[in-house]
Amino acid sequence: MKAFLNRFQVLPSPDPDDNRRRSLLNILLVGLMTIAVLLVVLIVFSLGLEGVSADELFLLLAGSVVFVLLALGIAALNHYRPGTLAAWFFLLVLLVAISFSDAPKEMVDGRSIYLFTLPILIASFVLFPLSSFVFAALSSLVVVFLTYYGELGLVNFFGMVGFFAIAFVAWLASRNMENALRDVRNLNRELDRRVEERTRELAEALAREVVETGKSQAILEGIADGVIVFDASQTMIVANPSVCRLLEAGRADLLGKNIGEFSESQALSKEDSQKLQYWLAKPNETLLSGRLLWGQKTLSVTTAAVTTPVGLPIGTVAVFRDFTKEAEVEQMKNTFVAIVSHELRTPLNAILAYSEMLQGEVYGPVNPKQANAATRIYSNAQRLLGMVSDLLDQARLEAGKLKINIEEFPVAELADAVHGVMDKPARDKGLDLKISVEPGAPVTVWGDPHRSQQILINLVNNAVKFTEKGEVVVRIRKAGDTHWAIHVSDTGLGIPEKALPYIFETFRQADGVTTRQHGGVGLGLSIVKRLVELMGGTVTVSSQVKQGTTFVVTLPVKPSSTHKEEMES
Amino acid sequence: MNSPFALVIEDDPDLSDIFSEALEAAGFEVEVIRDGQVALQRLPSLDAVVIVLDIHLPNVSGDTILEHIQADERFANTRVIVTTADTVTAEMLRDKADIVLIKPISFNQLRDLASRLRPAE
Repeated sequence: MKAFLNRFQVLPSPDPDDNRRRSLLNILLVGLMTIAVLLVVLIVFSLGLEGVSADELFLLLAGSVVFVLLALGIAALNHYRPGTLAAWFFLLVLLVAISFSDAPKEMVDGRSIYLFTLPILIASFVLFPLSSFVFAALSSLVVVFLTYYGELGLVNFFGMVGFFAIAFVAWLASRNMENALRDVRNLNRELDRRVEERTRELAEALAREVVETGKSQAILEGIADGVIVFDASQTMIVANPSVCRLLEAGRADLLGKNIGEFSESQALSKEDSQKLQYWLAKPNETLLSGRLLWGQKTLSVTTAAVTTPVGLPIGTVAVFRDFTKEAEVEQMKNTFVAIVSHELRTPLNAILAYSEMLQGEVYGPVNPKQANAATRIYSNAQRLLGMVSDLLDQARLEAGKLKINIEEFPVAELADAVHGVMDKPARDKGLDLKISVEPGAPVTVWGDPHRSQQILINLVNNAVKFTEKGEVVVRIRKAGDTHWAIHVSDTGLGIPEKALPYIFETFRQADGVTTRQHGGVGLGLSIVKRLVELMGGTVTVSSQVKQGTTFVVTLPVKPSSTHKEEMES
Repeated sequence: MNSPFALVIEDDPDLSDIFSEALEAAGFEVEVIRDGQVALQRLPSLDAVVIVLDIHLPNVSGDTILEHIQADERFANTRVIVTTADTVTAEMLRDKADIVLIKPISFNQLRDLASRLRPAE
């Protein structure tokens, strides 16, 4: 059935309107042929053949056959040839057939005049909208012709006006329909274009993505640092070859592990395992990093949260680096410094004590010049000892091995101790050393008494070193409810403003020249800062060139328990 | 009456010399031992009022000697001055020894300290 219907399909042409019109014409042809055949059958069987002459019967049958043949011919033409030729032909045949379908009287002014509306209406749909007027005109001509030919009197003027009225309505309807169709087609075209555009964009994005992923993948595969990534459900989704090499594990063994399983590796100590788990499970915007002993290797680990551009956490990335060599070198350096410092102290002890004995005339009387020489030997050995102690402290601080022993001690004891050590060097330089404990200052504080002394002696020693005349003032006072402060002011040469930010750095003095002028290895202030921080305090400096410098150390009266834990760890 | 007896266990010849000079200046009769092993052998036959003990010693460490001294009833009244250059070690020893001195040790300091430890005559 479908195949049969398909036969009526027209051969497509590029113009969709043409296709539509030709299909419509096909349907009309089939319809009309069916009606013609049915009409013949109806006439023959319902009215019977009585009273019908052979001529009339012949005419009827011949007319029908001719009509069907013509219709088939037009259908064939319509099927193979695009354009309106078949439609014109059909309409003209239809008009002619209609013109002779009834008596001229009936055609012009009677029951069959309505038949002329058929070509007018059909024309507007199968040709073009305005063609309805062409067939209104042709129909009018036929009416005029029939009127004159049949001598029927006045032309049916109203009928002709009716043709044009119908043509007008047909034109409007058809035109509207065509416009609507055109709009729909434009809409479709626009839609198609957009879909195409989107598809292309998508394809391009996909291609870019593939390239980017490829690049990232290549970088990940190539870098020497080990990289692992955990997703939001804490499952490992990335492990690059470097991390497999570093951790001596197969990629297949690593991928899919969760943070807990990964952290509980046999290669880690319990403590390191907990550390790693903490770093991986609680990353944030600031990078967490530290070192782990993974089997025989020292690894540095840095973890960070992976977030979407809007800041939603979607996982954790951890970067591992082999730190074994560096750790060894660092260890060697620290050991070296410690040994050297330690071994230097023994001969220094001998030099100090012998010069002391000479001064003290243990081996018999010495003359003033000899005593002076002994004093110089003593003070220089003391300086050397100071530097060695600084180096040792620095090495310990860097290795995190310097221990702070928190105990309660009287502030006055600190003041006395510093006075005892620094009064003589100050007086030797003609400087006035004033140490005062202000009213309201705490009587006792918690901290490391030995390190507190070291901090204060370092600062006072510095002040004495850089002051040529005037005084060095130490004030100990209360600082808020929970802290106490030590001010160390001098009237020395001051520190240039641009040097202020660097003076707490290791091996720094305000400039290279002063280093040679004033001796010391430039560790004093850096040690002060580190010690103060270890005790939970802060140190600040303010200075005016040629006016003097003031250091302020602020320390907690009693370090908080959390801070104590940090210091102990 | 004989001078009170003091023992110096210190491997560095200069320091042992200085320590014995300081102790002599404080009125002690002094014997110096420079080796840990020798010190352990000699201890039972000595009766010292003051012992100056270095921690870093050849063969047997000062730690071990300190344990022996503390375990021996005869040294119940002996004052042990432990010397070390290492502040960390010093901290650890503070609970065990009577007196801990961190090197460098001043001649005057040791002489004055020893004087105070001399038994009253």
